[in-house]
Amino acid sequence: MNHAGPIARDENDLSDETFRDDVRAWLAQAYPPELRHPPRRLHFDQNRIWYQILAKKGWLAPGWPREFGGAGLSVSKQLILAEEFDAYGCARLNDMGIIMLGPLLIRFGSEAQKQFFLPRIMSGEHIWCQGYSEPGAGSDLASLKTEARDAGDHWVLNGQKTWATLAADANWMFLLARTSRAERRQEGISFLLLEMASPGVTVRPILTVDMHDEFCEVFLDEVKVPKENILGEAGAGWTIAKALLGFERIFVGSPKQSQTALSKLLAAAAKSGVIDDSVFQDRYTRLALDLADLRCLYERYAGIVRRGEPLGPEVSVLKVFQTELYQRITEYLLEIAGPEAACFERPGEGVEATPASIFLQARPATIYGGSNEVQRNILAKNVLGLPT
Amino acid sequence: MVAPDGSLRRARELRFSHPGYDRNMLAQIGGQGWLALRLSEDAGGAGLGVSEFCVLAEEFGARLAPEPALGAIAMSRLLRGQDLDQCISGAGVFIPAWRETGEPDAPKTRYAAGRVSGVKHAVYMADGADAFVVSTDSGAVLLRASSPGVRADISASQDGGNIATLHMNDAPAELLNGDMDEALDELSLATSAYLLGVIGVCVRLTLDYLRERRQFGKPIGAFQALQHRAADMFTQRLLLDASIDAAARAVDAGSESHSQRRAAVSRAYLRAVEASLLVTREAIQLHGAIGYTDEHDLGLLVRKALTLRAVAGSAAAHRRNFATSAGLFGATENAA
Repeated sequence: MNHAGPIARDENDLSDETFRDDVRAWLAQAYPPELRHPPRRLHFDQNRIWYQILAKKGWLAPGWPREFGGAGLSVSKQLILAEEFDAYGCARLNDMGIIMLGPLLIRFGSEAQKQFFLPRIMSGEHIWCQGYSEPGAGSDLASLKTEARDAGDHWVLNGQKTWATLAADANWMFLLARTSRAERRQEGISFLLLEMASPGVTVRPILTVDMHDEFCEVFLDEVKVPKENILGEAGAGWTIAKALLGFERIFVGSPKQSQTALSKLLAAAAKSGVIDDSVFQDRYTRLALDLADLRCLYERYAGIVRRGEPLGPEVSVLKVFQTELYQRITEYLLEIAGPEAACFERPGEGVEATPASIFLQARPATIYGGSNEVQRNILAKNVLGLPT
Repeated sequence: MVAPDGSLRRARELRFSHPGYDRNMLAQIGGQGWLALRLSEDAGGAGLGVSEFCVLAEEFGARLAPEPALGAIAMSRLLRGQDLDQCISGAGVFIPAWRETGEPDAPKTRYAAGRVSGVKHAVYMADGADAFVVSTDSGAVLLRASSPGVRADISASQDGGNIATLHMNDAPAELLNGDMDEALDELSLATSAYLLGVIGVCVRLTLDYLRERRQFGKPIGAFQALQHRAADMFTQRLLLDASIDAAARAVDAGSESHSQRRAAVSRAYLRAVEASLLVTREAIQLHGAIGYTDEHDLGLLVRKALTLRAVAGSAAAHRRNFATSAGLFGATENAA
């Protein structure tokens, strides 16, 4: 097989074990040591180097087909890559363009859109953010009010987006806006591609309760969007946005967050000496047992993904259990930290996050990606068949 | 094994009887070849793995089968000759006796020169036993129930079965070949799987009830507060299923170290303990007052779970075992 670029052999032909070993070995020599286990989500000026290293290696977009610059890895190999990156403590990238928009462009985009946008994501020239949530539309996203008015050769956007992760780093935003007053409110929504430098776009960072400027609100005031910057047909936005609910849903239930938090708990206990206390050991063991069972369940769904079978709505149990375990671990960390739990360090000051910061950072896990209440609604209705 | 109407009537009728199960049914189970499931084909068995043992145990649990079949299957590989034939045909009743007070690491029951002395607690379904497979300081021994120096003090258990304290005073016994610890690990895993079956029925009954029961003009299952509790019951069932499955595969593959396999068995058992408590407790609440009656089948499930959690092992001991076997606090056993 002949493929252009740095990949001399087909990684999909390797055994999973060999591929895993290769990834580990490569990380040990290629990953920037100063970026291991970052205490918070990094900004693009901090993680750009890792973005470029991955692009050079050909692993920046593991799931994209090779014709678009991706690694074309099988789902099974993509999962291994993600697991090894997690285990090594690799920083998360400003990856909205790669994991969210790219697959949608490849599936729904015009030839011109693919030719224009995909290479610019690969080069890091375009950094994307997501504009879904609004002040009045969170869990009930279909109630969104941002409007795109048809003005002949362009759309005119008015409205407000919020909780846009790392939007201040981004120069493009994909967003959902209402293009018509359809009877079924989902049908009036379109998927637009917005250049952030357009006149009328104002980005204001929001400090999280952890004092990190991770989110932004984005104000849209008579913003012109060229007619061609729509993905799919007008009114197809809701369907397109939901098309991404594929195997990606397993990632939010990955044991990684809980594993990392549990390691921090043990390290804190070793530091304070409480590790030898039998009460601590019993409570820690209970948390470790929950994590071990979560891993068993995760492996079951990962197996489904590896076999190329679709994940049913049942996978919501992973998200619910994982995120709540993650929070319980951080709550116990607060308890054993004692007075240290009161300490505050500004983002960027310390090498490691304080116990309070670890606790606070665990809070949004049960809110984003579909709140745990929404996940339980999904389980009740779509899996357990309970009435509405 | 199950009533034509799908109810748990057979299990209900056998409660608080002697010996608390149907010996004919045990023989029928033996006749199916199920009691020889773990024996190699050379030894006249089915040559199946712990995974299949767990599948069978789950089915027994879903029917609340009171017959002491799991112990017979787990202990069969320690037996030979006529005893083995009796055990796997279901014609004889062989009951494991392994628990002692204080959960010592090694049994305090002593065996020497063909005689055994000691006390075993929590011997489940001891009524009507023909023989006991007893753990001792010298390994597993076979003790006939009719032997001199043997006394079983039998009391009723919550599920309508029985539980005994077995006193052995210089009683004649035969030393057995084979690893009793491994057999007990398998029994522990199978018991977890039996509890999985119990939990599965609990979840199903509760979901049926949430769909049918109407209050305030709608099915109570339409209320979000109850939906979310049902979702958490379901999650616990899935976790237990996955935990047992992984542990059984680890035992069957034999690929991991002995301590890792033990850690997996303890992990699955502890999930069974936690899940069965949560699911049965929630099932009662979601059923309302009818869930608190003896007339409803739910009570049979609740009390079976109560009993098995208590007799099948100590949660604290399993937690310690998991922590040590998994090397949570830097123990070196993980490297073994």
